[in-house]
Amino acid sequence: MSESNSMNLKLKIWRQLNSNAKGKMVDYQVSGVSPDMSFLEMLDVLNDQLITKGEDPVVFDHDCREGICGMCSLMINGQAHGPEERTTTCQLHMRKFKDGDTIIVEPWRAKAFPVLKDLMVDRSAFDDIIQAGGFISVNTGNAPDANAIPISKENADFAMDAAACIGCGACVASCKNASAMLFVSAKVSQFSLLPQGEVESKERAVNMVNKMDSLGFGNCTNEAECEASCPKGISISNIARMNREYTSGAVTGK
Amino acid sequence: MSSTLAVTLKSSVVKKQLVGVTGLLLCGFLVTHLAGNFLLLVGPEAFNKYGHALTSNPLIYVAEAGLLALFLGHMGMAIRVTLQNKSARPEGYYMKTRTGRGSTFASSSMPYTGIILLAFVIFHLQGIKFGEVYNVTYDGVVMRDLYRLTFEKFSTLPYVGFYVLSMFAMAVHLSHGFWSAFQSVGFFHTRYTPALRKSAIAFALVVGGGFSFLPIYCFLTGAN
Amino acid sequence: MTDKKLDSKIPNGPIQEKWDNHKFQTKLINPANKRKYKVLVVGTGLAGASAAATLSELGYQVEAFCIQDSPRRAHSIAAQGGINAAKNYTNDGDSIWRLFYDTVKGGDYRAREANVYRLAQVSANIIDQCAAQGVPFARDYGGYLANRSFGGAQVSRTFYARGQTGQQLLLGAYSSLQKEASKGKINIHTRCELVDVVVVDGRARGIITRDIVTGEFKKFAADAVLLCTGGYGNVYYLSTNAMASNCSAAWRAYKKGAYFANPCFTQIHPTCIPVHGDHQSKLTLMSESLRNDGRVWVPKNKDDKRRPQDIPEEERDYYLERIYPSFGNLVPRDVASRNAKAQVDQGKGVGSTGVAVYLDFKDAIERDGRDAVEARYGNLFEMYQRITDDDPYIVPMRIYPAVHYTMGGLWVDYNLMTTIPGLFALGEANFSDHGANRLGASALMQGLADGYFVIPYTIGGFFAENRPDELDTIHPAFDEAMKSSRDIFEKLLAVRGTKPVDHFHRELGKIMWEYVGMGRSEEGLKKAIEVIPKLREEFWSDVKIPGDGTNVNVELEKAARVADFLELGELMARDALDRRESCGGHFREESQTPENEALRNDDDFCHVSAWEFKGVAASPEKHAEELNFEYVKLSQRSYK
Repeated sequence: MSESNSMNLKLKIWRQLNSNAKGKMVDYQVSGVSPDMSFLEMLDVLNDQLITKGEDPVVFDHDCREGICGMCSLMINGQAHGPEERTTTCQLHMRKFKDGDTIIVEPWRAKAFPVLKDLMVDRSAFDDIIQAGGFISVNTGNAPDANAIPISKENADFAMDAAACIGCGACVASCKNASAMLFVSAKVSQFSLLPQGEVESKERAVNMVNKMDSLGFGNCTNEAECEASCPKGISISNIARMNREYTSGAVTGK
Repeated sequence: MSSTLAVTLKSSVVKKQLVGVTGLLLCGFLVTHLAGNFLLLVGPEAFNKYGHALTSNPLIYVAEAGLLALFLGHMGMAIRVTLQNKSARPEGYYMKTRTGRGSTFASSSMPYTGIILLAFVIFHLQGIKFGEVYNVTYDGVVMRDLYRLTFEKFSTLPYVGFYVLSMFAMAVHLSHGFWSAFQSVGFFHTRYTPALRKSAIAFALVVGGGFSFLPIYCFLTGAN
Repeated sequence: MTDKKLDSKIPNGPIQEKWDNHKFQTKLINPANKRKYKVLVVGTGLAGASAAATLSELGYQVEAFCIQDSPRRAHSIAAQGGINAAKNYTNDGDSIWRLFYDTVKGGDYRAREANVYRLAQVSANIIDQCAAQGVPFARDYGGYLANRSFGGAQVSRTFYARGQTGQQLLLGAYSSLQKEASKGKINIHTRCELVDVVVVDGRARGIITRDIVTGEFKKFAADAVLLCTGGYGNVYYLSTNAMASNCSAAWRAYKKGAYFANPCFTQIHPTCIPVHGDHQSKLTLMSESLRNDGRVWVPKNKDDKRRPQDIPEEERDYYLERIYPSFGNLVPRDVASRNAKAQVDQGKGVGSTGVAVYLDFKDAIERDGRDAVEARYGNLFEMYQRITDDDPYIVPMRIYPAVHYTMGGLWVDYNLMTTIPGLFALGEANFSDHGANRLGASALMQGLADGYFVIPYTIGGFFAENRPDELDTIHPAFDEAMKSSRDIFEKLLAVRGTKPVDHFHRELGKIMWEYVGMGRSEEGLKKAIEVIPKLREEFWSDVKIPGDGTNVNVELEKAARVADFLELGELMARDALDRRESCGGHFREESQTPENEALRNDDDFCHVSAWEFKGVAASPEKHAEELNFEYVKLSQRSYK
């Protein structure tokens, strides 16, 4: 726990001025990194050093820093959110690295996630997909008593497993096809498992998938890198369920 | 529902399902092909008569057309999916490593093992189906002596080697493709899917091993 | 006596009938006319997203704004424990009345009775609404909703979705928001920050925003503006708030004439992972439930540098058990927090920084077995280990209190309207229904109550009196606000000093924690009022912001927020100094019982302090709203 074993690191970071500019990997040295720092705090230290030198700090997305808001991202040494399983970048700690390591830091890469600056990307495509059907059409005031419709504990638990998605986009980033299937299927699954959402389940799957396709995400090839990189461990079983909902919806739909 | 037939057929879900379903049907073809091959162990007459029965049946043209359609469909869809997937990430990563918890060698090499298989199929058809015609007569019926042709082809080490390597590629392809097809059509179960993944590997070993066994067998026994 | 300027507009009649009467008496807007009104909703957390969605469903034109890249990321998402509702599903004697009573008492009698009663009334509707939206609440084997118990209540009324209740409720509200957006009825502006509130003829008529990506300023005109922008805990630099949580929207409204109420009421949560170094950016909360089985202690000898597991029983001081024999480790949040600070102040703090106390599970593990402890707290232990690299099954946890929630905020009347007509404040951004201390699992309840069930009615009453007119952004007030908005950023960029923004924020945080933190004294508060303006001055002459304002410039964004915190901090100290009593989260060293408990002064301070801005350099003017307790009797708390 002592601060004395501070680390020096080499960083290779993607720098890009804005969405139209051409970016490149730039080398940095950062010193005085404590093993107890989170990865983002290490970047804070780097930025502090850059600002003091009068250079432009590295821009990266982050907010809650407790692994729930889904704002942080980063491809760290070729892995979404870094090497630790079920961990967001903000919860990744520097003790997972060694003094003298070179760390490669890149933004999420996908046609549907354009880079805005440095490591900051535009993930509004996810909002577009949710708008296509990631909701239950109930207005405020319409609701019956919450206990009027019992839901089996098993289904409620499965729905919660899917609902745990934080929308960070690691699934897209880690998929070699830049597919958003895991994200979309988590929402489709959550609602199709609950009686309240089951009503529009097929239509929802069709609309969300078609929207996803039109935004330029890739196709799923069932490799499960998404599941492996997902900080919340969302299962690809959701993708199977979505495939099912989609086909039956697309075939039986008007 | 807002999905027209054209949109549906072009959707990421249905394209993958088509790849999966055609793949599974091709697996069915592989099983029957392999079963027929094993008649080689029974003897020349059984093997040649089986070949003749298949090729002399007029339905063979329908079957072959179907098979060709499956093959082209599988390949065409897979190529389309792969090209689209490439365009979904126009700028690649400086460094990309596998987590080791998701994708496997088999899953990530599907397009490559697929290309090997395409090359193999062309070579195989050219060498056997459209290869030298030797005739043999059983019970007064003249038919191709495929038994002789097979032993002749598998008498050289490079030829056998190519077959065995191709069959290795096929086994790798199947070990992912077999269970993946189920996932694409929407089958997933916490208990059965892990078993299915294991059986995909078993299936790949049986089919790949079976198809490799015969060239090796021919090479070893034919040399005597 | 209540200041004439503060009309809380509490409806007449018995408390049980106030809300129903008020809804009935409030004038309605006919559906065809609703689409003529435009509402700007700033912030998309529980309050903002639920309000925006509901107003859009009713037919109003809505524009929603958030600073994150998606409305789904608002910090409501981080709430863990649950949401209270008076459903009495557990048949254990809960009722609207009991939830009302518990909340008023928990708030140490500094909340408005009528508001709290309404909150308790609509609490049940919230659960119904969320279940209908597909929020996967925990259920029992029969398929019905499960409940857990929570601090400050003797009934089980807390609904939850694992340890991610806030996330699930927010995603529910977010999905409703997106449902309306998909119909083209809400425009959502992401990565977009409010810079100013535009006031025309004394009424809020729009806002000026700055696009975080392009640096572009924009004007929006409307018939009403809703601020749902959360709390200001980040004034302490280190808190459990998200990095971007800020006070700026509320603060700019304050500077435009909205009163700021009870700014000194902050909640400090006792069980957080302690600060480990200078570069720490954020504090992480560990659920309060840990105190059910963990024992809090420090070494008796203040120079004891042994490993905790090597310190024998007789040399440990289980100070909570010693001081509060009947409540022991389960004393309320404020008491537990203050006592931890007292131990650290005596030099008995533990860990490399000396600013922590132990929370030990040794006895629980010996008594119940490791498996039982793991079943109860496994996920929390895992989180702790991930952050600290210590195994709490072997080494006692180190914990320390951290700033968590702010009960104070913009003053609002019963209709949630601030002192600027047309400007409303919802959720944590208003001075809220929690008085001087918020009970666990009540923040989510209040945010959603305001958004789903209160504002949709009360805004109609305001619109009935204020018909739509032709006012748009051509009005000179918009140009003026635009100019002053640009000026703030240009002025910041022009400083070209030597120190990064975080330096000043950290310094402010230290001052606030030291003097306006858990224990506040007249001397300390006066000191804070003296040093904060100096720091502010230094900031404006020495802050270093690289780059310009035409691109993403994180330092510039932060600087604008820290500039506001540097003013807010002073107001908090002034309010704390003025309130010469201890209540809830506000503890004045001078006002305590002989047993060192918080001592209220109901004769002089049974009121809401609402502050009016009079200029950055000038002292703000205080207006008091007298609180009348007709239904819950004022009494002193004791936990001995």
